[in-house]
Amino acid sequence: MRDVYIVGVGMTKVGRHMSLSLRDLASEAALKAIEDAGGERPEAIVVGNMLSSLVEQENLAALIADHSGLRGISGFKVEGACGSGGAAIVAGYSLIASGLFNKVLVVGVEKLLERPTPDTTRGLAYAADADYELIYGISFAGLNALIMRYYMDKYGISREEMSWWAVMMHENGYQNPFAQLRKKVTLEEAMNSPVIADPIRLYDSCPLSDGAAALMLASKDYKSLNDTPVKISGVGNALDSPDLSSRFELDSLYASRLSALRAFKMAKKDVKDVDVAEIHDAYSIIAALSIEEIGFAEKGKAPKMWAEGRFRPGDKPVLNPSGGLKSRGHPVGATGVYQASEITMQLRGDFPGLQVGGEVGLTQNVGGVGSNITTLILTR
Amino acid sequence: MTTIQRIWRLRTTLLKLTATRCLDCGYVSFPPKAACPRCGSKNIVREELPKTGELLTYTVLNIPIKGFEDQAPLAVGIIKLGDARMLAQLTDVTPESIKTGMKVVATVRRTAPTLDGVVPYVVKFRPMINSRTSSQKDEATETEEDNAQ
Repeated sequence: MRDVYIVGVGMTKVGRHMSLSLRDLASEAALKAIEDAGGERPEAIVVGNMLSSLVEQENLAALIADHSGLRGISGFKVEGACGSGGAAIVAGYSLIASGLFNKVLVVGVEKLLERPTPDTTRGLAYAADADYELIYGISFAGLNALIMRYYMDKYGISREEMSWWAVMMHENGYQNPFAQLRKKVTLEEAMNSPVIADPIRLYDSCPLSDGAAALMLASKDYKSLNDTPVKISGVGNALDSPDLSSRFELDSLYASRLSALRAFKMAKKDVKDVDVAEIHDAYSIIAALSIEEIGFAEKGKAPKMWAEGRFRPGDKPVLNPSGGLKSRGHPVGATGVYQASEITMQLRGDFPGLQVGGEVGLTQNVGGVGSNITTLILTR
Repeated sequence: MTTIQRIWRLRTTLLKLTATRCLDCGYVSFPPKAACPRCGSKNIVREELPKTGELLTYTVLNIPIKGFEDQAPLAVGIIKLGDARMLAQLTDVTPESIKTGMKVVATVRRTAPTLDGVVPYVVKFRPMINSRTSSQKDEATETEEDNAQ
């Protein structure tokens, strides 16, 4: 396999974009990434998206390529629920590693705020098991709540410990010009926010978001396109059951552990090498489980560690300097591409928000309640 | 919103609670799978799960998904049934009366209408009252047969 580099990144601000369509958002990110990489035309585009059916649009690779002046290139869409962006990067990586192409544009895009909220939340629940879960009316937040209660009961985690995550994320995201919720939150506000699906409260949850992010990937021959390329040193993807009930354990994310192990093995790196990471905190409970499965904390210890002040600037690793899904937002199929863009900028030293730097970065993008997970190890 | 075809296809699984047991490694899966999720073996058999179990975790949804709005607050739990688990609605409870670890029993109840306007019946779980356990089992079986006709 050939080495693959990230030679350009582009992001839109995450938020409610009434005036921008899916193609507008995607093209803005795509053209920024191409420009950041030196302006050369990619040979192929891979799009990550979950729910463009909400805006009555499929065939996204053609739509976005054509709107961005790339008519005639190769491409297709990749879907892996909320992990679509990470999966699209795996596909883009493979196209270059295999030797099929030298320059591939990966675009993650999502437009969740076009339709009334009940339509969107029903759509997000399609990531779960339609036959055995949705027929009972449970929402995606509800599925996460089942895991959260089980975990808090088993490990004796307090409401206060869980809520510190939201406080920390909003502190980080406050500095991120691309973030959707740029405001600080107090512990009391987080702990006493409205209940969505008990025990999940508003500040345990990410917002609904529109947004797009893009990466230009290139083989070694083309990395001179950008004088500060970041290498994709490790790629790991793993699947678990979409349903919760047949999981091996209710308080672990099997696919998170497997995908991280695969990425570390490929990169010949250890969890202790990671300086900065963007993890998938769609709900605080998913942050806790991901931190533990990746190996940043022992089982049942993550919330106690973040409540004690760990994972903040100055620590190793620093987690989610972007503000994470909580504050930056969660434009579902774009999130994995945002994470990789943010870590690339952290390693290059030009992230416009909380810049912490480092040599080794990690991203982990979670689809469903942990059923389709991609981990990347990025190195300078 | 679901379709009546889906409910019809799943009628046995959803009302008799049929899981798959792997004859090679012993793993029991509900929902049933075409091959063992743990070892990959296709040497699996269908078996009915017990109709009583223990509530492992639960949530109460103030905002259920579209189509279930009328059922808020909607209680859903994961129940340990023998060697497997099942996600299902909880019924005959208030948000305050639900307790992790409580014993629950399967009962057949109406759920939200399908797209075609049909009102399907599914298994929900209610708190167990010891003296009624055996008759509740019979009720589940009877209603399943009625529904299949």
